[in-house]
Amino acid sequence: MAFFLETLLGGLMSGMLYSLVALGFVLIFKASGVFNFAQGAMVLFAALAMARFSEWIPGWLGIESLFVANVLAFAVAVVIMFVVAWLIERLALRHLVNQEGATLLMATLGIAYVLDGIGQTIFGSAIYKIDVGMPKEPVMMLESVFEGGILINKEDFIAALIAALLVISLSIFFQKTATGRALRAVADDHQAAQSIGIPLDRIWVIVWCVAGITALVAGIIWGSKLGVQFSLSTIALRALPVVILGGLTSVPGAIIGGLIIGVGEKLSEVYLGPFVGGGIEIWFAYMLALVFLLFRPQGLFGEKIIDRV
Amino acid sequence: MFYRENGQFKTTYKADQQAFVIPQDRWAIVALVAFAFLGVPLLVDEYMFRAILVPFLILSLAALGVNILVGYCGQITLGAGASMAVGAYAAYNFMIRVDGMPALAAILLGGLMAALAGIVFGAPSLRVRGLYLAVATLAAQFFWDWAFLRIKWFTNNSSSGSVSVADINLFGWTINSPTDKYLFCLGVLVAFSVMAKNLLRGNMGRQWMAIRDMDVAATVIGIRPMYAKLTAFAVSSFYLGVAGALWGFVNLGSWEPAAFSIDRSFQLLFMVIIGGLGAISGSFFGAAFIVILPIFLNQMLPLVGSLFGLEVSIALVSHVEIIIFGTLIVFFLIVEPHGIARLWATGREKLRLWPFPH
Amino acid sequence: MTDKTHSERITFHDAIETMEVDFSSMTFADAVQVNAIYDEVDRQLAATGKRWFFLVLYTDCEIAPEAWDRFAERGKSTNINHGRGSVRVDAKAQTREAIRQSAGRESFRSNIYDTRDQALLALGELRKRQRDLANGADEVFLRVENVSLRFGGVKAITEISFEIKRGEISAIIGPNGAGKSSMLNVINGVYHPQEGTITFLGNVRQQMRPYEAAKQGIARTFQNIALFKGMSVLDNIMTGRNLKMKANMLQQAFWFGPAQREELEHRAKVEEIIDFLEIQHIRKTPVGRLPYGLQKRVDLARALAMEPELLLLDEPMAGMNVEEKQDMCRFILDVNDQFGTTVLLIEHDMGVVMDLSNFVVVLDYGKKIAEGTPDEVRADPNVISAYLGASH
Repeated sequence: MAFFLETLLGGLMSGMLYSLVALGFVLIFKASGVFNFAQGAMVLFAALAMARFSEWIPGWLGIESLFVANVLAFAVAVVIMFVVAWLIERLALRHLVNQEGATLLMATLGIAYVLDGIGQTIFGSAIYKIDVGMPKEPVMMLESVFEGGILINKEDFIAALIAALLVISLSIFFQKTATGRALRAVADDHQAAQSIGIPLDRIWVIVWCVAGITALVAGIIWGSKLGVQFSLSTIALRALPVVILGGLTSVPGAIIGGLIIGVGEKLSEVYLGPFVGGGIEIWFAYMLALVFLLFRPQGLFGEKIIDRV
Repeated sequence: MFYRENGQFKTTYKADQQAFVIPQDRWAIVALVAFAFLGVPLLVDEYMFRAILVPFLILSLAALGVNILVGYCGQITLGAGASMAVGAYAAYNFMIRVDGMPALAAILLGGLMAALAGIVFGAPSLRVRGLYLAVATLAAQFFWDWAFLRIKWFTNNSSSGSVSVADINLFGWTINSPTDKYLFCLGVLVAFSVMAKNLLRGNMGRQWMAIRDMDVAATVIGIRPMYAKLTAFAVSSFYLGVAGALWGFVNLGSWEPAAFSIDRSFQLLFMVIIGGLGAISGSFFGAAFIVILPIFLNQMLPLVGSLFGLEVSIALVSHVEIIIFGTLIVFFLIVEPHGIARLWATGREKLRLWPFPH
Repeated sequence: MTDKTHSERITFHDAIETMEVDFSSMTFADAVQVNAIYDEVDRQLAATGKRWFFLVLYTDCEIAPEAWDRFAERGKSTNINHGRGSVRVDAKAQTREAIRQSAGRESFRSNIYDTRDQALLALGELRKRQRDLANGADEVFLRVENVSLRFGGVKAITEISFEIKRGEISAIIGPNGAGKSSMLNVINGVYHPQEGTITFLGNVRQQMRPYEAAKQGIARTFQNIALFKGMSVLDNIMTGRNLKMKANMLQQAFWFGPAQREELEHRAKVEEIIDFLEIQHIRKTPVGRLPYGLQKRVDLARALAMEPELLLLDEPMAGMNVEEKQDMCRFILDVNDQFGTTVLLIEHDMGVVMDLSNFVVVLDYGKKIAEGTPDEVRADPNVISAYLGASH
């Protein structure tokens, strides 16, 4: 029982991280109808920037403090992500307004390639570390309930906390601020939003900036856990089933989808994996999402599609 | 001047429904195919065959398969590599498990297996559309990646996971020299291209395109979405499966699952985007482009670097390569969503009217 | 040839219930000459005591402008008193015009053929259809019973019932959002009603898929043109033949046997429709490049290619100018007349609806508020208040 709970909790934690990446997808899709395949490349790019600048800055400025170096590197990375967002809107998306979803998806695949290439050219393609001082030691919980208690990684716990925080602040941003309202208007209908004077291009830059920030946060968390390397960009592929499961347009969907996938993956790997040779995590998540799709083609929380003729 | 249709009149519907309606086009194609069979082997060295022509032919076939599904039926797929893998491994298993199995039959059976797998993984397309479907096809990619890596039966329990096949023997013709490989692949490609053209200009192709352009209207005039989509998945996967088997048998000789990874799927998708969605010739243009570009960059970049006194590392070349790919994809989607094939067609249209532009 | 007597120019073909009149090489200089031959025609017809189909030969026939009015008037009265339908052969442009004028409305269908053989064929069709009509008179063609349709909490249609007769042109009218398009979508299976049944040609059903509806012979056009943008006009129309094409995939891939034969046969049929709708010049053009009015026509052509029993037209004249509307009216009448297709249309232009249709159903807020002939509906107080917004 303790082991099961441990697996479950582990699943929930990693699920929270999936949610974080998925959130980036949902934000951009909601506001611009773009299914952003470059989200993974953005995570990699942001993490690379963070890792490298936190390494370079102490040397350049002669700063000793790890904390100051990290804060500076974070600031630089934020600026870089803003610039990336602006460039993407300016150079690609602006010219693809009102194209079909599939076209936009393929364009973001192209953007992902460009980001991967540029990121590795500038920042290098080795494995780098991000050390933001997250505690690594495991903690025991519920020792009084189970014999031996449950082992939890403190790092995971903090990461999940940060993810939750980010989700809540984004929800507030979307629901309560004027910009958030404009974003939702754009999401509902580009042309209608334009006609009441919402500047489409600026909104898109904002959305991509926000997505860039979530990418940065995700990149830092994943990067400090696993190291920053090229495979980080495939994280998008891990988060895709989450988005599909939760529904492309739903923020709560991204969260709950992430949790379901996280738990499903861990449980299947632990309880099912040994029988089929292991390594089933990745396709199991997809199958899970696919089965959901067959019953609810619009995802758990997505909007129902009605054909109009 | 010579490319003009004045005075050519069609008096029967049959004449008007030929594969190439303009006689000049017909002759140009015949001449091109004849040159490919007879002229090229005399002109080209072994390196060209191995590094460029054979990969080009096989990837053209694969791109044709992707184009049928994505360009003609409008069902986006990110699992094309998986279909190639199914074709390759199925053909391999037919070869080693059935005594006296002719290689050509094994390759075609591999294609058929891929078609079956394509139908199974295409089934979600009946419920889900567009972007959701793209993600569903990824499921196939990851599942087959995993299956060929972890299920040892598929690789005949080879310890490294890599499998290899002997040279193909086709009715006494042993295909082992680069020229043989080239001619064999060319023959397959020509045959499959003709079949694709026939399917696409007939009822089948119209059903696919109808589903692509406006699926509600298509169902209303009596096209069954299930039939149209699943046949597109099947035919596309068949092409991909045969291409995969050729890739393994003829081009590589021995291979691992990584040869058909998700990167292959993306690469094939890029081929049809750059080459031209919804145009058969686009598959060829795209494949040529993607085969030649890396070779070109590999030669050019160090040269350009040395001009400025820079050492260009292999890593940098590969990074620049993906940057250029990515940029080109975005560029084509913005400027010419129908790819090189449309540029070609526009040029031809101009030529038809030349020298009188109106 | 002008020396034939009047009675020599009249032949009765009893087997096909047809009277043939030969006007070829005749010249009608004034009303007197018109009267002379028509008196003879009417006398002989009256003597038989039956109604006949008319086959009229016009080759090299000249009608002076002074004689047009009388000619038209006599022709009309003969048709009304003794006719069951007529076909004409080889009329000159001005004669056509005169005949068209005679009907008193732009949209008159003139049934003119190039040769006598073609005219006879058409006549055969006409007879067959009338016979079918007579036989199937008591079978229900289309009956909608208590149909309700909801989207979530929104009621699009509430308990609507009506019946459409074979061979007629019927219309559904109503203000915007009255549920007209939804009604069409229910009939051809795009939407599935929660309650109620649809009876079509004896088959009762509550729900069916669009494919089944198409198979039973229901075709439709769309309000916002739903053509296949990436295909040529010809290919668009050919898709309409899909249900009638049987060659399997292998035969198509090798382009042999039935595949090729079928393709040619159906091409010929499609060309007939292209001729009929006068879109020959654009057959190879991608539909995306066509102006709106022509796109609407291609949409109709695609539906006609299915050779439907019932043709549903969703605002066929929306967004058209007067000329295009007249053309479209003529096509709809011709379709109904020459192919015997039953038509159910939605239209906002009241003039068009009242002029074209035999029967009108009026919807408002998803409910039926009136039905009947155009005149009945026009006088209905419910309809007037729905349209003019009089106090409820």
